Amino acid sequence: MLHRRLTQFFTLYAAGVGLLLAFKVALGLSDYVIPGPGEIWRTGQTYGAAYAAAVLNTLGVAVLGHGLSIVLAAAVAVIARLKDWIGGFIRTAAFNIQSYPIVAVAPILFILLGDGLATRLLISALICYFPLLLSFLGVFSEPVREIEHFYEATGRMTWRLQIKIRAFENLQKLTTVVVGSATLAMVGTIVAEFIAATAGIGYSIRIALYQSDLAKILVALLLIGVGTSLWLVLLEGLGAALQRRMERP
Amino acid sequence: MRRRRAAGGSGAGRGLRRWAAAAALVALLAGCAPREGVEEIHYRLKWLYNVSTVGDLYALEKGHFARAGLRVNVKPGGPERDALKELELGHAQFGVASADQVLRAAAKGAPLVVLAQIFQVNPLQWIYRPDKSPFREPADLRGRTVGVTFGGNDETILRALLARHGIAESELRLFSVRYDYTPFYEGRVHFWPLYINAQAPIIGERLEKAGEPIAFLDPHRWGVRFVANSVITTREMLRQHPRTVSRFLAALLEAWREALDPANEEAAVQVLLAADRETPEAIVRRQLPVTRRLMVPEPPAAFGRIDEAAWRETEEILRLQGLIERPVDVRSLFAGNLP
Repeated sequence: MLHRRLTQFFTLYAAGVGLLLAFKVALGLSDYVIPGPGEIWRTGQTYGAAYAAAVLNTLGVAVLGHGLSIVLAAAVAVIARLKDWIGGFIRTAAFNIQSYPIVAVAPILFILLGDGLATRLLISALICYFPLLLSFLGVFSEPVREIEHFYEATGRMTWRLQIKIRAFENLQKLTTVVVGSATLAMVGTIVAEFIAATAGIGYSIRIALYQSDLAKILVALLLIGVGTSLWLVLLEGLGAALQRRMERP
Repeated sequence: MRRRRAAGGSGAGRGLRRWAAAAALVALLAGCAPREGVEEIHYRLKWLYNVSTVGDLYALEKGHFARAGLRVNVKPGGPERDALKELELGHAQFGVASADQVLRAAAKGAPLVVLAQIFQVNPLQWIYRPDKSPFREPADLRGRTVGVTFGGNDETILRALLARHGIAESELRLFSVRYDYTPFYEGRVHFWPLYINAQAPIIGERLEKAGEPIAFLDPHRWGVRFVANSVITTREMLRQHPRTVSRFLAALLEAWREALDPANEEAAVQVLLAADRETPEAIVRRQLPVTRRLMVPEPPAAFGRIDEAAWRETEEILRLQGLIERPVDVRSLFAGNLP
């Protein structure tokens, strides 16, 4: 799984860089507009270690923010399944709130919370929270009638059992949503760092943009891709392990 | 196109058309420099419309470009815009960029030419509260918290100032600056970078209203000459269309002279207010005289004078800080006499 995902990423990355270099050669552009392979290599050697540390920093915040969002979204969805109107209200509120662009919200958070970990964590959680919440609401509000009917008829249904049944029957869907939102958490953290932080790879990209240094950005993109791929593989593995455990008699 | 596609054709014909389409796409992306006589020009500024672009806007509004037979599209810049890249890609024929941008690009082989230097003195300074953080000389920065935009030219200028006056970076605290001034208002940061002509009148007014005295640290006064905005084009443009370049530059410099002439202040203010609706008129009226002092050179030098010594110093600062990998012969960047 890891090998396949990394191969896919490296293929895409190489194709993208190859296209840029073809563009550079075709139009005779200087290294200022599009850096040559030598400069990208040298930049990788010079900044690779520092950028890898920055990606790990970002990944740490993204994992925390993602975890926080999963717990919160699951909790809210479990509560919302009690009454239809609660679920409908939360769904509408979620649609409205997620329509706000994070670039507009981030400076406000920056004023309130400063440019540290809290702002990054909150923006990361905000970006992946609402897609998770909407999916969890859908899963936990939808009865699995053919199974739940038996427990209800025999009077053995509890709210915990109901959650378990619905989660088990939709485990594949939940895993897909969790893995999908993981990339959103990573993107959210990078955006937060770009706008309102002094650490992480988003902040490094901001500095590179100030310096019009595309080579640094290409190195950063490579490391972000590798970091995100590793995380996604880990999440998929956890999802598969959970499914195996639940299927065990 | 649709009919030709529908007609199909041999594999060789399809291949030829693909090559033609690819070539057309490349030509489209590359853009086309204006031919002599067509005179459609794109001019990319460094920043959004504000007082630092008053001459550019004046040239457009008062017909200087039109009288020179040019149809100029003056496009605002911004943090994500890079006039130098647009010039090389052919999306613009003229642009405004700071000297550090120009030198970084030249060090990487970008074929650029400097036509005129707009600011004679760099407008970047640091605002501070003299009652709380008194400043008599750069040594007073020791122990203070100083704001810088990491990666920006204020970081470069501050490091040059510290190096010139023998102050180690460890002797003060650097604070990463954003657009929000709250850390300075709250007193957490003692020195905050800003453009003395554009931002200082706005921030200064707020602090004055709050009864707080303010002052400014001017790196130029303490021996750091770091060139700011200049008008640039490409070598290809200059070689192929020298008369267009000459007419554009003459019209632009004439407009700048008029816009900064105190006799035309009312007209200049109205031009600015029409383009920049966010800045109140009272602020614009305070910004304009400051801009004039920074841009108009001492007579007999003409507006747009290129200060070669300052360019050399800027190049040296960038080289010593490792921001350019190889030396740049600054004189080779200047356009020289135009026809």
